[in-house]
Amino acid sequence: MNRGPVPRRGVRVLGPGLALAVAFLLAPAAPAAAQVSLSLSANTVTFPTADPDSTPVIAAPPFTLTVRARRATSWQVTVIASGNLTSGASAIPITSLSWTISPNPPFQDGTMSSTVAQLVGADTQELNPALDATVNYFLVNSWTYDVGNYSVTITYTLTAI
Amino acid sequence: MGRWRLISVVVAVLCLVPWPAPAQTRSRSHTVRHSVVARSRLAMSPTALSFPSADPDAVPLVPAAGGALVITVKASVAPGDPVTLTVVANDDLRSGLDAIPASALQWTASGTGFNPSGTMSTTVPQAVGSWTGSGSFSGQQSYVLVNSWSYPTGSYSATLTYTLTTP
Repeated sequence: MNRGPVPRRGVRVLGPGLALAVAFLLAPAAPAAAQVSLSLSANTVTFPTADPDSTPVIAAPPFTLTVRARRATSWQVTVIASGNLTSGASAIPITSLSWTISPNPPFQDGTMSSTVAQLVGADTQELNPALDATVNYFLVNSWTYDVGNYSVTITYTLTAI
Repeated sequence: MGRWRLISVVVAVLCLVPWPAPAQTRSRSHTVRHSVVARSRLAMSPTALSFPSADPDAVPLVPAAGGALVITVKASVAPGDPVTLTVVANDDLRSGLDAIPASALQWTASGTGFNPSGTMSTTVPQAVGSWTGSGSFSGQQSYVLVNSWSYPTGSYSATLTYTLTTP
């Protein structure tokens, strides 16, 4: 009884291996991961004290937000606060804090939130070389604020693909 | 199709599919600070009151011309701190040697925290309003002068001093 040619073990192993090798050779190179950096020129931003009648909105000294996203096809910067500005049990709503930023676009002005990250800027191309953005914080002043030393942590996040 | 061939095809297809680059993220934080210092402000309008001449029988209580004083108290204080507004007369209403007692000046008031009524004194500051904590408070104070046939003819005046007190 003729059962035909018996496949040799070497051929059965060589076939898949060869296919894999060819596949890897033909596979498109995975896009390189973007290289991103983000920095803030100020560790602390301090609003001056001011009379709510004469200064209903207080401006803080500007700082620089520097972002870079090499080899990125898109990027975005968001910001979120850790909570309200607090001083012991007293609080100033975080929505009293807003910002302006330039250049605009790709950056945009906004109002701070502690629950939803707010978009600060975005684009669909790489950001290289690094871009310096000037940020100005503003705080709505009010007689309703309790005396105290208030603070809050603000976090910026750059995401690039 | 043999098992190995099937695996080879699947792997090859997977290899040929372009894989997206992983998202890269960087985060940086900083602190925002603001100090609120104690301050207060008292505003009122008008700054002078006048009472027209009137027949004591027909008008036993003479309202101040020009209507009510509009008073605004603003204060930034520590939580729970008291804010008080008082008024005191420097003397009775005087016209030369003649006098109308300061207590002839009476008022009613409206507005959150304002005392609804009061009588002027030259010795004890009278509470116009009291509040707790920071805020801006507005109200109206309407003066009347108790009229009397006993008042000698004359042009009377007195100075009222309002004092806003915070800790």
